[in-house]
Amino acid sequence: MSDSAIDWAAIHSAAISFRLAMPRSPAGGRLGERIGTGTGSSLEFQDYREYTAGDDLRHVDWAAYARSEILTVRLYREEVAPRVDLVFDVSRSMLVTEQKVRAHRELCALLCCAAQATQIDARIITLSSIEPRRLRDPEEIERLLSCDGAISAVQETHLPLRRHSVRVVVSDFLFPHDPDSLVSRLAREAASLSLIQLTLPEEMNPSVLGGWRLVDIEGHGELDVVIDQRAIQDYCARFGRLRLGLSRAARRTGSKFVHLIAGESLRQGALALAAAGVLEVI
Amino acid sequence: MIFTMPWGLLGLLAVPAIVAIHLFRRRFPTRSVAGLFLWQVMRRTPETGGRISKLPITASLLLECLAAFALALILAGARLRPATVSQHVVVLLDNSASMAATNSLGQSPRDRAVRRVLNEIAQLGSSGRITLVESGERPSVILGPAAFAAEARSALEKWKPDAPHHSLALGLQLAREIAGRQGRLLVLSDTSNGDNEVEGAVWVAVGEALANVGFTAAQRTISPEQGTGTIFLSIGNFSTASLRRHLRVFSGTDEVLARELDLPPGTSSFNLPLRSGLSSVRVVLSDDPLLRDNEIVLAEPRPKVVAVKNRLPQGRGRDALMKALSSISGVTTSEHEDIRFEPAGELNALVPAGGWPVAFGRAPADLFAAGDTHDFVGPFVPEKLHPLMRGVTLAGVVWTGAYSLAPGKIHPLVSAGDQALIALLGSRPEDGILFNIDLERTNLIRSPDWPILVSNLIELRRQNLPGPEFWNYRIGEWVRVRLGRQPKGPLQFRCGAIERELPVSNVSEFIAPAPGGLLQVMEGNQVLFEVGVNFLDEEESNLQHKEARESGKFDSHAADLRGENGPASDPLFWILLGVATAAVLLNWCVGATVTRHA
Repeated sequence: MSDSAIDWAAIHSAAISFRLAMPRSPAGGRLGERIGTGTGSSLEFQDYREYTAGDDLRHVDWAAYARSEILTVRLYREEVAPRVDLVFDVSRSMLVTEQKVRAHRELCALLCCAAQATQIDARIITLSSIEPRRLRDPEEIERLLSCDGAISAVQETHLPLRRHSVRVVVSDFLFPHDPDSLVSRLAREAASLSLIQLTLPEEMNPSVLGGWRLVDIEGHGELDVVIDQRAIQDYCARFGRLRLGLSRAARRTGSKFVHLIAGESLRQGALALAAAGVLEVI
Repeated sequence: MIFTMPWGLLGLLAVPAIVAIHLFRRRFPTRSVAGLFLWQVMRRTPETGGRISKLPITASLLLECLAAFALALILAGARLRPATVSQHVVVLLDNSASMAATNSLGQSPRDRAVRRVLNEIAQLGSSGRITLVESGERPSVILGPAAFAAEARSALEKWKPDAPHHSLALGLQLAREIAGRQGRLLVLSDTSNGDNEVEGAVWVAVGEALANVGFTAAQRTISPEQGTGTIFLSIGNFSTASLRRHLRVFSGTDEVLARELDLPPGTSSFNLPLRSGLSSVRVVLSDDPLLRDNEIVLAEPRPKVVAVKNRLPQGRGRDALMKALSSISGVTTSEHEDIRFEPAGELNALVPAGGWPVAFGRAPADLFAAGDTHDFVGPFVPEKLHPLMRGVTLAGVVWTGAYSLAPGKIHPLVSAGDQALIALLGSRPEDGILFNIDLERTNLIRSPDWPILVSNLIELRRQNLPGPEFWNYRIGEWVRVRLGRQPKGPLQFRCGAIERELPVSNVSEFIAPAPGGLLQVMEGNQVLFEVGVNFLDEEESNLQHKEARESGKFDSHAADLRGENGPASDPLFWILLGVATAAVLLNWCVGATVTRHA
């Protein structure tokens, strides 16, 4: 992977109009610009309550004390900077073709740029064994996307996800799994979850190819098959069930699911993500 | 390199078969995919066959070809050293006693036969194979089959021909079977085969005509009343001139008799008196070419006296019976009778153990059938094979007073029409013998058949007394010994160095064994009887027709014998086996590694 593998100019150009969509009420985070669910020190009034020892005297409503001789303090909403965990699949399945590699890198870069534009506390998770990296400069992600893992990070059961974080998962999800348990695991204690499935066009709808020895790129065996129309129908049916399973599981957990096809333009991809609510237009 | 089984080279066809398998093996282009599990329910069996493409030279192909090549060579019997090819000679040795006759130089046909065999072995060389077959009533292999020539000398040294006269046909048949198609057949005897050549065999007669004297027959009797005995000897002079021989009789180490005998050509008989009480004696003739027929052992017979009791009523019948009995030796009158003569009406009375009832006259009521008595003048139908009827014709006999007997209760020995005249009262003589006759009126007692009939009856009973049937036998004759009771211990016989177990029975039968001598029948450690077993063979004693002659020729089509010592004899076998094993194991390892990588 060379430094010039990603056209950052094009990425920045495409990402300039988008940022990562946040949930209407982020569950928590460090002090920031987003309205939180708890009580804080923003200018937005929330409620009154009686004064108790230790309350900030600056928040005492003296006018109300004058009227009722009861010490009352004003409560304001807190402002937080939401936590975002970007989970990128760097298994070898993302290396299956150059087209998929390029699309994967561009998508990850776009999400990083969008996250940075949101001014949030974002981390990038690739594998459970690797310490999550805080997102400072999107261009730093290039060296994280080596894609040499034997399994996807999504398959790992103990990812270092933060509580109440906004989670964005990028993978092809082309591994045997139970969509309900997988999505439930990823969505557990999350503020929100977005699943982005990136596949090649031929992975979604292969063409008639004849006899092939199919070798699993992640080393899970090989198979001699004759790919004919019937075999493709069977494959497509199974692929469709896999995608439908993910989509249903996402709906059950209030998550978002987007299927992107490698080869589409970056702009089209960003619009698709915005349409799904993963990104929002600035 | 030579191949002991060239057909095994067909196994090399496995090599092109393996190449073809690798050539036509299905080889699809490889394609990397991300989700192989989505394809794994597809049909794996394609509708079309494999494609011919360039043969991939893989380690698996090379190892499989190597293993097939090595195994094919093993199957073909590949050898670095050629298989030993040797000539095989099967020698039939005449084992008759005449082969041991020595001439004035001390040489015997046996010596000449041994020399001939050794010459044959010398011609065969060290790789030669030989089989020695000894002739006899039951020919046997004394060396081989196809033994190394070096082993022949010791086997020939042990060969001592001493068998009675026999045909070589059985030995020849056995030798031919052993020779098969690879062997040459050599027959060594002291007689020639005449003009009848044995096909594919060389018949070598190594005999020599010699003058010989030998015993041809011998018996011994005793007279208990007089306390003396007699030896009856037949001595053959098988030459053209009278010969003089010195005869000596030994009892143990004591010489009890010595005679000078002048023997004219032919066979002479001699009766030599011998006192009784000498259990066994050894009779020896002075030396001559054949020693085997110069010595015999004669056991002393024990008299078998038959005790009779005559209970017939006074009259001409009783008198005739007593007169007939008095003319038979070895018969006595005793209360402990072996035979009891009595009126038929008393048949049901208790009979002492061992006594045979012989009844005359009217039988008991349970044997009667309806009807009156009848007289018969013939024709009489005797059961000729029964020992009681031996020599009995009943010609001119008027059989009187015969009652009708109930059929099914008797076993007729003589009948007239459907009337039984003499009958067994059971299946055996000891159950009783009925003479359905009135002795007072018949002329049977005055006919020549009467003493014969009584003598047969006594001898039949005598044979059933305990003891051997005879006391002196030739080699090969059946010896029959009756104990008269159940044995109390294991039975065996001992004759020189030969000891054999006998079946536990009150009657034992066995063949008199060679080389003969004094034979003891033993019950446990107790000697019951002693009998003599002797070589009395006129055919073997006569050496006048022996000759030296060679006829016939070896089978020119006889193939040589291929000597195979097994695979261990050749290092190439082990090399090939090792290569094949290593190739198979390596191929397995390679296959396992490829699968693991995949």
